[in-house]
Amino acid sequence: MHIVVCMKQVPRDNSVKINPDLSINAEGIEQIMNLFDEYAVEEGLQWNEKLGGKVTVLSLGPEEWKEQIRRALAMGATDALLLSDPSFAGLDVLGAARAVAAAINKLGDVDLVLAGRNSTDDESGAFGPALARMLGWPQLTYVGKIAELDEGSKRIVAERHLEEQIETVESRLPAVVTVVKDINEPRYPSLLRIKRVAKVEIPIWSAADLGLSAQAPAASIAARVPPPPRAKGEIIQGADAAEKVRTLVDKLMESQVI
Amino acid sequence: MPNEIWVLIEKARHSDNIAAISRELLGKGRQLADAAGTQLAALVLGSGMGALAERAFAYGADKAYVVDDAALAQYTTDGFVGAAAALAKKYQPALILSGASFQMRDFSAALAAELGVGLAIDATNVTIEGEQISAVRPSHGGNVINTIAFGAARPAVVAARKQSWPEAQEQAGRSGEVVQESMPGVEIRTKVTNVSPKQGAVNLADAAIIVSGGRGLGSPENYFKLIPPLAEALGGAYGASRAIVDAGWIPYEHQVGQTGKTVSPKLYMAVGISGAIQHLAGMRTSRTIVAINKDADAPIFRVASYGLVGDASEIVPLLTEEIKKRAGR
Ligand SMILES: Cc1cc2nc3c(=O)[nH]c(=O)nc-3n(C[C@H](O)[C@H](O)[C@H](O)COP(=O)(O)OP(=O)(O)OC[C@H]3O[C@@H](n4cnc5c(N)ncnc54)[C@H](O)[C@@H]3O)c2cc1C
Ligand SMILES: Nc1ncnc2c1ncn2[C@@H]1O[C@H](COP(=O)(O)O)[C@@H](O)[C@H]1O
Repeated sequence: MHIVVCMKQVPRDNSVKINPDLSINAEGIEQIMNLFDEYAVEEGLQWNEKLGGKVTVLSLGPEEWKEQIRRALAMGATDALLLSDPSFAGLDVLGAARAVAAAINKLGDVDLVLAGRNSTDDESGAFGPALARMLGWPQLTYVGKIAELDEGSKRIVAERHLEEQIETVESRLPAVVTVVKDINEPRYPSLLRIKRVAKVEIPIWSAADLGLSAQAPAASIAARVPPPPRAKGEIIQGADAAEKVRTLVDKLMESQVI
Repeated sequence: MPNEIWVLIEKARHSDNIAAISRELLGKGRQLADAAGTQLAALVLGSGMGALAERAFAYGADKAYVVDDAALAQYTTDGFVGAAAALAKKYQPALILSGASFQMRDFSAALAAELGVGLAIDATNVTIEGEQISAVRPSHGGNVINTIAFGAARPAVVAARKQSWPEAQEQAGRSGEVVQESMPGVEIRTKVTNVSPKQGAVNLADAAIIVSGGRGLGSPENYFKLIPPLAEALGGAYGASRAIVDAGWIPYEHQVGQTGKTVSPKLYMAVGISGAIQHLAGMRTSRTIVAINKDADAPIFRVASYGLVGDASEIVPLLTEEIKKRAGR
């Protein structure tokens, strides 16, 4: 079975700045693998251990993203692929999904794509569904358990963990699955493996390699600003805890918060 | 007349009414439609759900497109996106509004991709100025507020965050035009074989009041002694920082923050939580924030509307009693 895991590199925290050209400036912030993608990688590895085949970690991003691709390789991914091109910089989610779909079609033999439920920087969760539509494959989002994955019958059975209910869903393969944290416990790459993959060549495909032509995005960023500062708060004063508590409740009731 | 504005209607889970999010979207949709001089339509997809159209009229819709088909009895991406895309191609709405629950994210993202149109997920505002449709959506844990400008392709697809707008008021005696449409011939490739309630589900996103506790509470025993009773006195839900979720005090379901839930309640109380940027990411847009922390320099006080400096073990029981006495339920 050939499993592709889509992985995004993100800043460790979101104390980012906004560049004059409206791009995001995460300078000085450590880059990590998007949290939910660690679970996607782990899930790919666990099924690979059972079924054999390949686990390809795939990112669309700048060359710096090789760092986290290497982490996925150190966790145990068998193959890696980076899609990188200057023209990818301004892609919206549809554009990114179109490029990744082209790469998956070019790989040709993919049975399952795993992605995270959302990225912790852009936070939309739109990528998996967009990719599924571009590929013409079914999508199973917010998956907290893959109960069955069968290459022969080309079938997957999974649990979708929604806010208040768990849905068991069957689908044919190939399919796109996005995962939530409940699904597994990601492993840490061993030092030995980190060393072993340090010099592995990571192939890069450009827009031309994928036969992609430029397409205007369906939506664009017109403005980007920091959030309005919160109204200045107050520290409640009082002789003792009881008095502070009474004052707090007064204020919450006056402003009809409670 | 400019093209219509559509709202995807969801049924309330515990009544025959439409869901709160749908009432919110109809309220916003009504404003947008009036300003643009167009009609507001409800999109009702389901099996035996036709009565929801009447409910949507009561909350401001002029019209309802109804696809009533056994294939839509359960939500599936192919079924719902197939039906909505076929209707959108036929009637060309300017904008399709939905909620941003997991199911609605699954729907709106696939719909936008299917139609090749722009998308804004978790939007907190939508505007229409002449031909320009725009949406506001926070990203980066609320540290960046993006204005998304939709291109010329229609419809614009917007999945809105809960509690972004006031709910529409019910107006007795309002009616509207029902347009029945049949289910298009799409193949539904996934099959839902079971739906079961989630054990210990906490829908923090729905809660108007949330009380969260952190490592400053010292132990899980202390957390459970202090936090759920205060939440209950306020009629709210209880949440947690990642520190205590990772420490195994309480399940992940309760985690608020960058890698947990993003919430925006009317009142958020943070008890024994330092206010790390990843925690703030999940709650900084709450209307009123109360922080209780023994360290006067804790960063949580920088976002707090009201701060109480002191020991949670002393303050919280007093607070719970005071609220029960004066405002609680
Ligand atoms: C990639 C990444 C993602 C993350 N995602 C999240 C997330 O989603 N959510 C999240 O919460 N965190 C997240 N974190 C972790 C975050 O950085 C903090 O470590 C965490 O929020 C700290 O939890 P805390 O405030 O409970 O604990 P601490 O930071 O240890 O704070 C405890 C607080 O309690 C106070 N205190 C101590 N005793 C008392 C007392 N008796 N009475 C009152 N106050 C007292 C202390 O003064 C202190 O301010 C993430 C971190 C990373 C790197
Ligand atoms: N540029 C990208 N390259 C590879 N995978 C991506 C990329 N962007 C998003 N993804 C995947 O899609 C998931 C959801 O991302 P998002 O839609 O941005 O919230 C992530 O967890 C990744 O698995």
